[in-house]
Amino acid sequence: MRARVVAVVWWLAVAAALLLGPLALRDRLPDPMATHWGTSGAVPDGSNSVTVHVITTVILWTGLWLLFLLLGRARDRRAARVTSYAGMAASGVLLLGADASTLAVNLDAPSWRATLLPGWHVPLVIAAAAVAGSLVGYLGRGAPDEQSSRDAAPPALRLRAGQRAVWVSRVDNRWLAAVSALALAGVAVTGALTILGVTSGGLVPRLLPGFAIVLVAALAGSALSVRAGDDAVTIGFGPLGWPARRIPLSKVESAWCERLTPGEVGGWGFRGLPGRATIMLRGGECLVLRYRSGGRLAISIDDAERGASLINALIAERVPS
Amino acid sequence: MLLTLDLNDARPLHEQVAGAIRRAIGEGSYRPGDRLPPARDLAAALGINPNTVLRALRDLRDEGLLEFRRGRGVSVARRADGRALLVQRARELLDEAKKYGYSREDLITIVEELT
Repeated sequence: MRARVVAVVWWLAVAAALLLGPLALRDRLPDPMATHWGTSGAVPDGSNSVTVHVITTVILWTGLWLLFLLLGRARDRRAARVTSYAGMAASGVLLLGADASTLAVNLDAPSWRATLLPGWHVPLVIAAAAVAGSLVGYLGRGAPDEQSSRDAAPPALRLRAGQRAVWVSRVDNRWLAAVSALALAGVAVTGALTILGVTSGGLVPRLLPGFAIVLVAALAGSALSVRAGDDAVTIGFGPLGWPARRIPLSKVESAWCERLTPGEVGGWGFRGLPGRATIMLRGGECLVLRYRSGGRLAISIDDAERGASLINALIAERVPS
Repeated sequence: MLLTLDLNDARPLHEQVAGAIRRAIGEGSYRPGDRLPPARDLAAALGINPNTVLRALRDLRDEGLLEFRRGRGVSVARRADGRALLVQRARELLDEAKKYGYSREDLITIVEELT
């Protein structure tokens, strides 16, 4: 609660400075004022009116602030807290520094072309942002995360003789389903336009492969089904469960359920390298398989605890090791 | 959804599948409103014909346990009936008793001896 209040106060303070600073100095600034300096050196290559500059910086700040606020939603995770606090502090200081530098060089200049940016401004602002981010991230790190169930005994289940047990589960990602629907529409429209020859050359035919790639990727990630039984775990991708990947239980050492967030594994989709991969469609309950070869595979799936217990039981009782 | 079938069970397969799904719902892995995995997935996992699974799902719908919705698949309508679950467990218990050579009457005696 207190952290949220601090975040809102920080947003207000930075937004007020970005808003009031240029407006207070308006009489002493050229209009338009210089707002961008190229890589070539101290000479400006971009200008804006003071009003546009103020609106741009405040919108930029609000966007960055919201992004880092959302990244910190999983407050019980240290990585999420540090990312959120450090990002908010660093982006705020970066924008304040950049704005102060912009105002300083524009102050009392006859026109925006006459402003010169001293070489030390940019490194100083970046360094200040880095220091602020590191410091706030360090101060806001809080207690270390609670140990996940990795050390606890893996869940198990008793199988009776003459019993056939299977586990089936599924997870859907509605966002990606919507994206694939849009991409399908894009493929249909651009495909039809290309075939009909309405737009020969130009942009449209070049968009077609892009839409097709998005369609395939979004479809593969829009649903995931996992089934365990007999001697294998089978992972089916996409709404049709195809392509499917079959992992023989003889290669699996144990299974357990763990709560993982996209922030921890590097985002949504297929993450990590073989041996430490994650198939992440949504944060939360994941089924984790440890291979006998030492690697592990995590799959975001509902009802993972029950699946893990069946896999462990099958390994213990049915699979010759 | 964890489903278990008894390989020695003599009942029709669709009844056994319905029983397995009822048990899975009764054990709390699915709450009212939750969607079941598609019948195709269940059939593939159990290695049986999808029509058998669909027949089991229809039986459970007629029982009021499941509801079918166009475009949303099959979802759980309400918690499994305690009595239906008990009947099912009792039947399994009876089967197990017969395996060990005890008759129905013996089992009733055993239940009566419980306090």
